[in-house]
Amino acid sequence: MDLFLQLLLNGFVNGSHYALLGVGFGLIFGTTNIVHFAYGPVYAAGAYSAWTAAALLGFPLFLAGLTGVAAATVLGVASYLLLYRPFVRRDAPTFVVLIASLGLFILLENLIAILFGTDKKVVDGYSAGIHFIGPTFYTDIHIYQIASLMILGLALAAFLRLTNYGKAIQAMTDNADMARVIGIDTNKVSILVFAIGSAISAVPAVLILLRDGALPNMGFIAVFVAFLAVVVGGVGSILGAVLGGFLLGMVENVGMWQIPTEWQSTIAFIVLFFVLLVRPQGLFKGT
Amino acid sequence: MEYLVHIAVMACLYVILATSFNLLIGFAGLFALSHAAFYAFGAYTTAILSTQAGVPFPIPLLLGVVLTAGVGAIVALPALRIGGHYLVIVTLALQVIVLQVLINGGEFTGGPDGIAGIEKISLFGWRLSSPHTFLPMAIFGAVVCTAIAWRIARSPFGRALKAMRENEAAAQAIGKNIVLMKVIVFAFSAGLAAVAGSLLARYISYVGVDSFSIEETIYILAMVILGGTGNLWGSVVGAIILVLLPELLKFLALPPDIADKMRQVIYGLILIGILLVRPQGILGEHSTAPALARRARKDAHADEEIGTVNGTEPGEVTVSARGLAKSFGGIVAVRNFDIDLRAGTITGLIGPNGAGKTTAFNMLTGFLQPNAGTIELRGRSLVGLKPHQIVREGVARSFQDLKLFTKMTVIENVLVALPDQSGDSITSVFFRPGTVRREEEENFNRAVEILEFVNLADKAHELAENLSYAEEKLLVIARLLATGAEVLLFDEPLSGLDPATLEEIFPIVRRLARSGKTICIIEHNLDVIRGLCDVAVYLDEGHALATGTPDELVSDPELARRYFG
Amino acid sequence: MSEQLLAVERLSVGYGKKTVVHEVDLGLAEREILIVLGHNGAGKTTLMQAIFGLIRTQSGRVLYRGEPITGRKPADNVLGGIAYVPQGHGIFRSLTVRANLELGAFVVRDRSRLEEDMETVFEMFPILRERATQIGGTLSGGQQQMLAIGMALMHKPSVMILDEPSIGLAPNLVERVMRSIQTINREFGTAILMVEQNVRYGLPIAQRAAVLKTGRKVYDGPPEPLEDRVELMKLF
Repeated sequence: MDLFLQLLLNGFVNGSHYALLGVGFGLIFGTTNIVHFAYGPVYAAGAYSAWTAAALLGFPLFLAGLTGVAAATVLGVASYLLLYRPFVRRDAPTFVVLIASLGLFILLENLIAILFGTDKKVVDGYSAGIHFIGPTFYTDIHIYQIASLMILGLALAAFLRLTNYGKAIQAMTDNADMARVIGIDTNKVSILVFAIGSAISAVPAVLILLRDGALPNMGFIAVFVAFLAVVVGGVGSILGAVLGGFLLGMVENVGMWQIPTEWQSTIAFIVLFFVLLVRPQGLFKGT
Repeated sequence: MEYLVHIAVMACLYVILATSFNLLIGFAGLFALSHAAFYAFGAYTTAILSTQAGVPFPIPLLLGVVLTAGVGAIVALPALRIGGHYLVIVTLALQVIVLQVLINGGEFTGGPDGIAGIEKISLFGWRLSSPHTFLPMAIFGAVVCTAIAWRIARSPFGRALKAMRENEAAAQAIGKNIVLMKVIVFAFSAGLAAVAGSLLARYISYVGVDSFSIEETIYILAMVILGGTGNLWGSVVGAIILVLLPELLKFLALPPDIADKMRQVIYGLILIGILLVRPQGILGEHSTAPALARRARKDAHADEEIGTVNGTEPGEVTVSARGLAKSFGGIVAVRNFDIDLRAGTITGLIGPNGAGKTTAFNMLTGFLQPNAGTIELRGRSLVGLKPHQIVREGVARSFQDLKLFTKMTVIENVLVALPDQSGDSITSVFFRPGTVRREEEENFNRAVEILEFVNLADKAHELAENLSYAEEKLLVIARLLATGAEVLLFDEPLSGLDPATLEEIFPIVRRLARSGKTICIIEHNLDVIRGLCDVAVYLDEGHALATGTPDELVSDPELARRYFG
Repeated sequence: MSEQLLAVERLSVGYGKKTVVHEVDLGLAEREILIVLGHNGAGKTTLMQAIFGLIRTQSGRVLYRGEPITGRKPADNVLGGIAYVPQGHGIFRSLTVRANLELGAFVVRDRSRLEEDMETVFEMFPILRERATQIGGTLSGGQQQMLAIGMALMHKPSVMILDEPSIGLAPNLVERVMRSIQTINREFGTAILMVEQNVRYGLPIAQRAAVLKTGRKVYDGPPEPLEDRVELMKLF
């Protein structure tokens, strides 16, 4: 039973992490219909920039984190402006944009490896406090992971609901042609969602840096779970991405109750593989 | 020198991978990201059977091919239901699952360390243990696999794949079973990738998970895109270039791990660059199309009027529908609809927008199942049949938005629609090549005749997307005619054409009717109905309100009033 | 042509090498309702999209208040006072009625008048007030069309372009929608350029009618002669 509670907690923590990744990716995908694979390396770049700021430049942790967010934002916007926009402008087929994003993915991932090397980067001198509730334990990072989802999730929801640009994003997600008809500049909105989505991705990236350290190939699994969370939850729905992320985290960890640790992700992916077979439109959409 | 030979061996393996991947994404248009997983399946099957059971070459290779083809066919299942982005995520998930199984497989898969000590291939007492001795084997493998892929690509089956890629509904409408085609092409693509995997395992005597990551799929993808999707020679060229190009890095004397990363940076740059500058790849899809001049053989069809339906009495009822009904979520589109279509007669279907004309066509051709009613073709019921089966029974339809196979040539558009092609069956493609070739010659002549009939013969080798408005409409007629169906349903076949062009096309349709075809036309341009139809049916609110000559219907004040709401 | 509010001169539009609309001239005066008729595929929608800048033109030009606006971005046209109501319920289906209306006023900088403008729309379509918090996609077809027109009203346009506002609506609703278009024209002085198939309800509210046939204008003049349906049939 203790183990089960611990797994439940771990599932919740990892679910928060996946959900936040899904929110950033889903915001970009839902609004622009671009499968932004390079979201993975942009996320990794966020972690590496934070590491550079903290370990090499001696920034305080919070400032280092902001550096990571800033770097990811710049890189995300640049990938839209320099890579995707030329394709969007000439109405290229969606799979062409997808292939281009795979090209950018492999390009950025390896550039990071060349710049920083393939060894694991950790922030020395940081150790997260460990706390217990009864027999189950959690760390400061776990708290931050849950808190960041709650804060950023609520902030994003408020932004989408209350501001003019937020409404423009909602409008474009719903129907991009109609958005143009009422006078929304879809190009500007695209830049905006790339900025917000990339900034969001850097937060879980920095937390993972503190928890596990950074590796150049950390981006693939991030974009994969983000994509999965979004598709399972239903494309175009921020809440769907959150629920999809939690489902992924829960299945993965609670599954471990009966199944050896090393199979946890495999089981989770197989479950979701079949979910997609049965309900391709996503679990939480179109009911 | 040894190193150069090694590069040549690797080029051979990647030729196999790139051509097989191209079959899937370039020809069938199925964008899957699991090719490295199929590659891994072949490699690990050979590794496991060889090291743990000592099974000699070539049994593990063949088993690996069969197993991987089976997995490929299973992956095709989601592709049947979902397309686009969902297929991408499902195949990506497969890729991740396969890698995790390999890493976590313990003794069985060697875990993160992989499997070493795979027995080299021994042939006739020769042990293929060095690059030199293995190269002929690799070349042989590449040639055989490319030949298989080439055979598929150039066969009527390959042509049908392209048609499916261009438009699934239209492919069904000319009688293709797209479900079966997807399963087959996935199986072949996966099976061929497994050959490369098996050869790799034998060649380097080792398999490890690092060789089969998502980056590997992107690498193979880059070869296909660089060479050109839909062109197998392009994939050969792309594979060779991308295997050779990184070798230039050797001159920079970088540390090995940096060089490896640089290599992948280059792939990324090439992928992006080629898409921006030349999205069709080095060799476009049609730059290596076969020489056009095939001898037009005089044959049996030549004297016969095209489209002749034998054994039909003019005026005889061919299609008869009674009491058809269809509603969508409570909204009635068609109710109690009766219609008789007659051989040699052009029937016009007119009525206001939303009267249910296209819905009626969709039911007659199996694209929608009626809620009630019967449809018979010469007494045989058509209800419940799939669209491609109804075409084979003899009822074919065109679409309002044409749905031409735009990236195929005019003659390919016609060829692919011809009925009863043994080359549509993958077994015939490989085991009855003589029959397939003979039929292809006949079909080619037949297609030329059909194009001559609609006055498009001089455009035969033009891409369909380059046709003018009027020519597109003619091609729609030609493609429908090619299906050999005796009943042809045209959904707004002539919309947007000016009067002069209409006058050129009318005689073609009339000749078709004279030759015994049963023709039904939905059209909003009433000039077309007046100029072409023998009889018209006025549909309003899903119901056949009146039947008569076009002039009667058009000058009926009551119908005119209803026409405009 | 100088007193025309919106004018189209020898406009040709198409896709790729294909031309759908051939050298059409069209003028819309201040406070006028012009109905554009024609068979399916005659090029009506293509023409409207080109005027509003949603698709590229091949030749000819579009003038608004005497200034050329050919190929101008839709966002600029909306700012300039042109509204577009696309075919088939142009709304955001996943958002509430209120959010839709607010989005209709997206380009209006002065947010203080938002409530007032929304009140105007609610007065015209009281059903929208009742359904203000309902999700757009759950409205009936007629209500969706009213919402689409309401959205266009939110930015107080001088010209409203409507593409088949009656499509898919039951006859009583068609009449209702046409009457509200007439009201908009009378009360706000909005000039209306409307593509319509429903001649019965569309024609009576129009001051002028044009008929397109296979991309060419075959009639331009008073609507009355077209009341003879058999004569009108000849133009289809």
